[in-house]
Amino acid sequence: MPGAAREKGSTMSEEIKVDLELDLKGLLCPLPMVKVSQNITNVPVGGVIRAVATDPGSMADIPAWAKSTGNEVLSAEKQGNEFVFLVKRVK
Amino acid sequence: MDAQALQTIVGVIDKRMTRQVKQYLDICARCAICKDACHQYVGTDDLTYLPARRAELIRQVYKKYFDSAGRLVPALYEARDPDDALLDELYTSCYACTGCRRCMYYCPFSIDTQQIVAIGKAMLIAVGRGQEMLGQLADAALFKGENVEMFRDVLVSGFKDIEAEVREITGDPEATIPVDKQGADILYVALAGAHSIRPAAVIFHEAGVDWTISLFEAANYGYFFGDPEKARLIAKRFMDEAKRLGVKEVVVPECGHAYRVAEIFYEAWAKEALPFKVSHILEVVDRLIKQGRITVEKGRIEGRVTYHDPCQIARNGGIYEQPRDVVRALTDDFVDLIPNRAEQWCCGGGGGIVAIDELRDVRLKSGSKKVEQLKASGASVLACPCENCRLQIEDLNEMHGLGLQVRQVIDLVVEAMPLPRSASAS
Repeated sequence: MPGAAREKGSTMSEEIKVDLELDLKGLLCPLPMVKVSQNITNVPVGGVIRAVATDPGSMADIPAWAKSTGNEVLSAEKQGNEFVFLVKRVK
Repeated sequence: MDAQALQTIVGVIDKRMTRQVKQYLDICARCAICKDACHQYVGTDDLTYLPARRAELIRQVYKKYFDSAGRLVPALYEARDPDDALLDELYTSCYACTGCRRCMYYCPFSIDTQQIVAIGKAMLIAVGRGQEMLGQLADAALFKGENVEMFRDVLVSGFKDIEAEVREITGDPEATIPVDKQGADILYVALAGAHSIRPAAVIFHEAGVDWTISLFEAANYGYFFGDPEKARLIAKRFMDEAKRLGVKEVVVPECGHAYRVAEIFYEAWAKEALPFKVSHILEVVDRLIKQGRITVEKGRIEGRVTYHDPCQIARNGGIYEQPRDVVRALTDDFVDLIPNRAEQWCCGGGGGIVAIDELRDVRLKSGSKKVEQLKASGASVLACPCENCRLQIEDLNEMHGLGLQVRQVIDLVVEAMPLPRSASAS
């Protein structure tokens, strides 16, 4: 559901409007990257996905996917046992 | 289709059509034995997924441009231009194919559909119709390879987190996940996820193996995508790392295609002999158990255990017995699926299809034979040494209410080891 991110300790996510929340907890890499990619066209250009994963491999996978597809990771933060990403659709 | 795209496709066929594949196309007798061998055709009853039909699409284009009779009288000789309808069907049939080669095993002429499908994928990629998700996954892997320093800190930080878990599981505060260890015996090339690192690290630690972990993942989406050059470059990342570190053995994780790429294809692609051996993790674990370097106890795994032969490890990789020996070391209640080994049914999850959303229905239908086998086994635990197979069988498990535990073999091994916290290793 579209909404504003409210995660404590994530200054960027408090300020940025989130268009789509993805719960990717429990998915093993590369599935978190796959799910972000499959959903990126579900937000408008300039829109933001907030994705929460638990597999540490996502910390390299999702930024690498964004770089190679021309999208932008606004933030990638470890919060406890979770990895929280704000991904902006650029094109 | 415009003239340039047509010329591109014809050029791909001209370049990629080896004498062997030409013979496959010529020799197929349309006997349709492959219809009973292909899990996908059996599960869907759809001609698109018939191995002989996959070949037929490419044969039609080949005849139109490379066969004099097909060129002169195309209607009579089933020759056809690669129009949009043909390319649409080719896309579905090629990217749905899991490359299991069960059809080849039963074909009286041993026609290798996977080689034919590889030409179909090359045709599609050449005109911008390659499967997008697989292409993105391949490109992301290449980006990581070209920019390893950008990701080094985040990867090492992830290894440190897993190392803390390994210390807890083994009860040894000195247990490590070595990175960049020059001269180590083994370079372990894991998958990107922690699940393939943690149990291997526990096993290596307990066995006293001199090892180091790769900064790259073994999965190779360039191979699934159908671009041999991307596939070579993705594998080259860790092959170069292994050469730089001077290891004696590269060990790939419980991932079917990663083993086949590293052990079967890479030397031919790279046109070089590797100065180290390549092993599957279960070959190593089997060795460690038989050498008495790790202790496993029967009785810790509850329920009947069965084993699924991943196609790329078994029928296409020749590894049948070592994984079974490992599983038999863990339990007295082991039962094989029937059929098994070279005749094992493909689960339907290979070839990258688990990452292709649009083929989800086909994928799940194509698991029908695997579901029958699993039900008949009476097992409650499935040992399955391939990530794609596990993803597929977990979906089948949920869909059909099989009540199975679908497990990595190395997770079961750690569970059977007398360790302070073995049960939470998975």
